[in-house]
Amino acid sequence: MSISVLPALDASKKAVGIFVVGLIAFVIGYWVNRNYFSDATPVQPIEFSHRIHAGENQIPCMYCHLYARSSRVAGVPSVHKCINCHKVIATGRAEINKLFNYWNEKKPIPWIKVHDLPDFVYFSHKRHVRGGVQCQTCHGPVEEMNRVTRLASLQMGWCLECHRAKKVENGRDCWTCHK
Amino acid sequence: MSDSDSIKEKWKKYRNPGYQDKFDYSWGMVIDLDRCTGCEACVTACQAENNLPIVGEEGFRSGREIKWIRIERYWDGEYPDIKLRFIPMLCQHCDNAPCEPVCPVYATYHNQDGLNVQVYNRCIGTRSCAAYCPYDARSFNWFSFTWDKPLDEQLNPDVTVREKGVMEKCTFCIQRIRQAKDTAKDQNRRVRDGEVQPACVQSCPTQALVFGDRNDPDSAVSKLAQNPRGYQVLKELNTNPSIIYLKNL
Repeated sequence: MSISVLPALDASKKAVGIFVVGLIAFVIGYWVNRNYFSDATPVQPIEFSHRIHAGENQIPCMYCHLYARSSRVAGVPSVHKCINCHKVIATGRAEINKLFNYWNEKKPIPWIKVHDLPDFVYFSHKRHVRGGVQCQTCHGPVEEMNRVTRLASLQMGWCLECHRAKKVENGRDCWTCHK
Repeated sequence: MSDSDSIKEKWKKYRNPGYQDKFDYSWGMVIDLDRCTGCEACVTACQAENNLPIVGEEGFRSGREIKWIRIERYWDGEYPDIKLRFIPMLCQHCDNAPCEPVCPVYATYHNQDGLNVQVYNRCIGTRSCAAYCPYDARSFNWFSFTWDKPLDEQLNPDVTVREKGVMEKCTFCIQRIRQAKDTAKDQNRRVRDGEVQPACVQSCPTQALVFGDRNDPDSAVSKLAQNPRGYQVLKELNTNPSIIYLKNL
């Protein structure tokens, strides 16, 4: 005798059941995708928390991203900069051990870029920082994020919204940003 | 006002005669043909600076080469009384550019610096602009080109690599102009004369090419443009090019 619950259910209940299972699968799939496979919130090689560094410990952004004021790129800190503090702070933790592995192997940490602009866009951090734009205006409240998430779309319309509102000099000319 | 309306209005404004006097810069070039030896160093420099692809022999034969600057060669007279003349030909950044009104998508327009802008992302590849350009300064990307390793390492990161289906042409090395303006803005001054040099100007061994701001009466370009040898190519078309050639006598 075969055992099956399906004959015991009528058609409408079956439909509801399939719908509920489908919904649960969708929600789990969405969550997994968003947290582990999305390009807006990539999983980084080391679970570095901006919330602890920039939020709780109040380290200024430009202590680590030190080129933002003077260059087109903000700059990812060298492993040396991390080691500088972590020689003495929070040693022995699993994530810090990962950091020391990179240090001992003399390899850079393969961070995954979160805010990545396409090849045809010219963007200068210097111009924006010197123009008085806060880091959080584009990058969101990074000091509250454990793993950095890209909140802005980084599309042209999004850039232009600000350029229009602030009446940037030549800010709407194509060759100001396109190269 | 919608965006396309504002673009139209801006465009109309830029096409009025004398519009460039209202703006800070009006980039231009003077090419002294007496000095040009036809060595094609400018062509090579442009190729390297602006990530121009090499189309190969077959592509060249079918007229699909991509050149932002080329040296035109003319023979005067018959052997043995023969004279060779060279004319470097590049986008003239005309004030009344014939390529601009024909673009259906505003992919080419005049900007506030007197430059004829080509926007690759807007271009849909109708090639009307190339058909209307009397100087044959525009090149079309018939294919997407790739650079084999390790040649991709030599690509200039400040210039994008164009895709198949877009028109491209000389930009007066906009990346260098942008860089100079950036530095000038930091020091709260105007771009100095001679601070910007496009790749062709920089590489010219005889300094036949001079680049600068035509709005500045003291700049080298403005002074050289006063030379009685000066002329504009195809002036009768009323395109009013930004490039002044000095006649080879």
